[in-house]
Amino acid sequence: MGSIWVYAGVTAEGPDPSALELLTKARSIGGDVAAVALGPGATAAADQLGAHGAATVYASDDTVFVDQPGRPAAHTLHALVQQHTPSLILFAGTYDARDVAGRLQAMTGSTLMANATDVLDATHGRTEIFGGTKIVDVELSGPEPRLVLVRPHSFAPEPAGGSSTVVPVVPVVGDGATTATVVERHSEVASGPKLEEASVVIAGGRGLGGPEPFAMLDELAAALGNAAVGASRAAVDAGWVPYSYQIGQTGKTVKPEVYISAGVSGALQHVVGMKGAKRIVAINKDADAPILKIADLGVVGDLFQIVPALTEEVRKRANS
Amino acid sequence: MNITVLAKFVPNPTGTPQLGADNLLMRDAGDGALDPGDEYGLELALQLVESQGGEVTVVTMGPDAALAGVRRALAMGAHKGVLITDPSLRGADALVTARVLAAAIARHPYDLVIAGAESTDGYTGTVPVTIAELLDIASVTAARKLELDGDGYRVERQTASGYDVLRSPSPTLVTVTAGATEPRYPSLKGIMAAKAKPVESLSAADLGVVDLTSMQSVASVLDAPAKAGGEIVTGDEAVGRIADLLQEAKVI
Amino acid sequence: MIAAARSTPRTGDVGTRARRELTQVLGQRKLFQRALPGTMHAFIFWGFLVLFPTIVEAMLAIVNPDWTLPFIGDAPWFIFMVEVFATLVAVGVAIAFYIRKVQRPDRFRGSHMAEADKILLTILTIVATLLLWNATQIALGDFAHPNAAPISNALSNLFGTGQPTEALERVFVWAHVLIVLGFLTYLPKSKHLHIITAAPNVFFAKNGPGGHLTPERIDLEGPEEDMRFGVATAKDLSKKQLLDLYSCTECGRCQEVCPAWNTGKPLSPKLLIMNLRDHVAGIDPAAMAAGTIELQPLVPNAVTDEVVWDCVTCGACVQECPVDIEHVDTIVDLRRNLVMAESRFPTEAGTMLRGIEGPSENPWGQPAAARTEWIGDIPVRVLQPGEQAPEYLFWVGCAGAFDDRAKKTTQSVARLLNAAGIEWAVLGSRERCTGDPARRMGHEYLFQGLAEQNVATFAEAGVRKVVATCAHCFNTLANEYPDYGAKLEVVHHTELLTHLLANKRLVTTSGASGTVTYHDACYLGRHNGNFDAPRDVLGATGLNATEMERARERSFCCGAGGARMWMEEGGDARINDTRFAEAAGTGADTLAVACPYCFVMLDDAAKAAGSDMRVADVATLLAESISGPAGT
Repeated sequence: MGSIWVYAGVTAEGPDPSALELLTKARSIGGDVAAVALGPGATAAADQLGAHGAATVYASDDTVFVDQPGRPAAHTLHALVQQHTPSLILFAGTYDARDVAGRLQAMTGSTLMANATDVLDATHGRTEIFGGTKIVDVELSGPEPRLVLVRPHSFAPEPAGGSSTVVPVVPVVGDGATTATVVERHSEVASGPKLEEASVVIAGGRGLGGPEPFAMLDELAAALGNAAVGASRAAVDAGWVPYSYQIGQTGKTVKPEVYISAGVSGALQHVVGMKGAKRIVAINKDADAPILKIADLGVVGDLFQIVPALTEEVRKRANS
Repeated sequence: MNITVLAKFVPNPTGTPQLGADNLLMRDAGDGALDPGDEYGLELALQLVESQGGEVTVVTMGPDAALAGVRRALAMGAHKGVLITDPSLRGADALVTARVLAAAIARHPYDLVIAGAESTDGYTGTVPVTIAELLDIASVTAARKLELDGDGYRVERQTASGYDVLRSPSPTLVTVTAGATEPRYPSLKGIMAAKAKPVESLSAADLGVVDLTSMQSVASVLDAPAKAGGEIVTGDEAVGRIADLLQEAKVI
Repeated sequence: MIAAARSTPRTGDVGTRARRELTQVLGQRKLFQRALPGTMHAFIFWGFLVLFPTIVEAMLAIVNPDWTLPFIGDAPWFIFMVEVFATLVAVGVAIAFYIRKVQRPDRFRGSHMAEADKILLTILTIVATLLLWNATQIALGDFAHPNAAPISNALSNLFGTGQPTEALERVFVWAHVLIVLGFLTYLPKSKHLHIITAAPNVFFAKNGPGGHLTPERIDLEGPEEDMRFGVATAKDLSKKQLLDLYSCTECGRCQEVCPAWNTGKPLSPKLLIMNLRDHVAGIDPAAMAAGTIELQPLVPNAVTDEVVWDCVTCGACVQECPVDIEHVDTIVDLRRNLVMAESRFPTEAGTMLRGIEGPSENPWGQPAAARTEWIGDIPVRVLQPGEQAPEYLFWVGCAGAFDDRAKKTTQSVARLLNAAGIEWAVLGSRERCTGDPARRMGHEYLFQGLAEQNVATFAEAGVRKVVATCAHCFNTLANEYPDYGAKLEVVHHTELLTHLLANKRLVTTSGASGTVTYHDACYLGRHNGNFDAPRDVLGATGLNATEMERARERSFCCGAGGARMWMEEGGDARINDTRFAEAAGTGADTLAVACPYCFVMLDDAAKAAGSDMRVADVATLLAESISGPAGT
């Protein structure tokens, strides 16, 4: 068996947590483990990547990889693949890594598995379908390297204390006619992702009692990251938040990984807009609230205590 | 300008999905629909040709029933349809799908290819960029806005912390996020007009794609351990249980 | 223009139409819905019926002062009647000015006030010149029975017997005739045209329940030139719709009762009709017929999109209108064009349309399999394909199957039917939306498809009697499905429960305590005349009933009709909040409803208001007063 590679996301601040998760997993499968890190911060990240199991780090700090997402990275990676013939490459399931994996597949003609929740060995991946009710193990065949996109947070990163050899990489860049280039960057940390795009949606309802407690939900969203705050029609009708927050029949439809409601009764009008969520958590002081019937986890209690405590707990666990 | 929109016909989004005896998703149960996630991109395409002139071609790969999805797209205003339907494509993996669709796109000139960010049933999310690579064109994924910019495009791409603006040459492939546009509801005039619009029916062989081998096979399907579904908690354990669930869902 | 317009079937059952002429035109029935304005109008209207011969008489007198009408001209009783009714007309005009200048009701906002004043003054001069003419005749000794004309007789004292009076006699009779003739030439350009158009407009009004909409058959396979999607331009308006426009007197009764107008929205049924009339009046009929002018779409040129979408189709305007203008049908026709031809409607309603047409065929897009989830442990027979229906099919409806609050009503009715020993079943996942929201939204084609499929299901299962809890389902099944071949006896659950109580098949055992006020659902009450059954059921519960000010025919909508349930609401206030405040104002502790839409809207309003007032369906209240298996 050839080596196992991890396509490691890096920034100037260091390696992406998903890179360390994937290296930890790659290590457990066995064989040689290498990381490919492309973009500013790549060389500097080598130590940490090495500590998590990458014996070799193919690195380039070239800004082309952030200025032209997708194509240069895929072509550079392809050149490395042709040279070193790995058996398996693990990617994080992010937009950027997906773009690299998707393009690479066109060149390698090998198989690509998406949404993996586990990698069993060099030829088997595991995924969940139908809202997590079925676990499917998939056998990967065809030419190497097999490409697997793994959902972030699937493994806990554990350093192994090794070190890595950095191999500098020369970027393979196209002629510009086939590449999109970033010309501006906008940060919207304050407002977070759009409701439809967020992994976690936190919805406030009439139980919040006014506009001010929405700040509490904003804090929880900030602690989670990639989370957005929405509202039921009752809260919007009351004028606490604008219509753009409204989730439901006459508002937005959301399908997040986790939906958390606070003080939402769960009228049909609202449920229509969030029933596609993969996991539903409902916090309500009324044990008869209809939303508790559809919740995977229903919490009967005072949201004004639970939400701030949850924000603390999320911060704690995210930093551990 | 000529825009090709990739659309997928998916099983009833509100129904209970089922696996057939071959462990493949049952796609021809009759009550499918155009993937709601593809309507955002189709709407973008329609708005572009309405202001710029040109044609929108919808390309779908799927069972015979997927014709209904093509008709829906035509009723919304697309000009032509291409339906690739071939029994041997049942269970096609991402690469075969990409090769078939790329071959179908390449048959006619195009300035822009638009797809949904990920499908409602499979949400693999890689097929469009694989197509871009096969066609050797630029791509921008997770677009939330696209405008013409000289001889190319100005695209706003959703990121984890906000958005980037990219300048992309023509032709480009973009994938459009849910909510990027407000898809129109087809009028009856549109439905009637759709009947007269051409729909080309193709097989994999027509497109010259011969290697249809899927490189993925289902080794086993197990029921997930029953989630603590419908669990109700009160008091002190609540916070810990929510945090556990957030970790199980891999969002912490 | 009217002659050239599209016909709608409005000539059947002449007996009903003739009776309506008698009560509503001669009897002024709808005008008397308001006492003072009704009296005002009746005085003037009846006055002119009686005075009509005197106009002829005056014309004769112009030719030859000695000529008079045969038989009645010199009859003392006729002279006396003329005196009385001429005076009543004058009193009527005085009342009208009192209403307009002193009371100044809001319903006149947007009406042409100066024109009305001119018309009223003209009417006054017509009767004044008549009386003065008679007075001069009496003074000259040319009047047959002065004692039969007390007022003219009194006025005659103003005049001498000489030459000046003879001249004045000629002046008054000429003035009388010329003013009448002048008035007639002015009529076609004025809102007073109703004296000609009102009677035919009432004659051609809809017979039967107000909730019935005229089908617009849509065949997508047919030739394109035959295709019509509602009303786009003036040439699409039917004869009756045009006649409506020319019958409006701008009295504003419709505006005063309109839920949209009352909550600060742009829609006023009166302004809608006036704006359409002004638009149509600006079109040259000959050019329109010849097709030499390009007609502008009525929306947004005559009325705005917002106006068209604000309507809850409650029919309060139609109910009030003394001349039977059918505002709702015209609004739905305008919507038909916007939805089916233009695909232009409040975007948030698209979810409902997609849900209904989608695989699951309900406005909320819920899985069809979930239609039986309300059943729980209640013994319910779900009719399987191939089985024949028992006596009653319980039409659960989408709200009744999916909405948590409406489900309680469904469960109560199911328990009551079981307690009464009725043979009944439900269709389960084979039930689909009746299409009412799509139809009220203007999507006639979507409605038509659902109607045909549901009717086919009924036929296949041999369904004869249907009981429905949803007022909208009830209206559609009972009044509209016959157009699609249904042969059903449809009852609302309140009617069936009243019947079962009367037959002692249901007997209340525990007298409930507390006070209740009942909210009339538009599609049950005003549109279908069922005001008493829900009240009778409540009467059996032992609750003390109290009425809201706006009750029965005058009930104020909950805000959900006309597919407004699936649209966002603008304006100064919400219709449901406004109605709930009225209910809460009665001091009752329970607000009873008989329709799931009303339930959801008013319960939402109760929660928004932070009120303790309970909102519940009459069936649930009845079930609670029956111990044993029916009770909850």
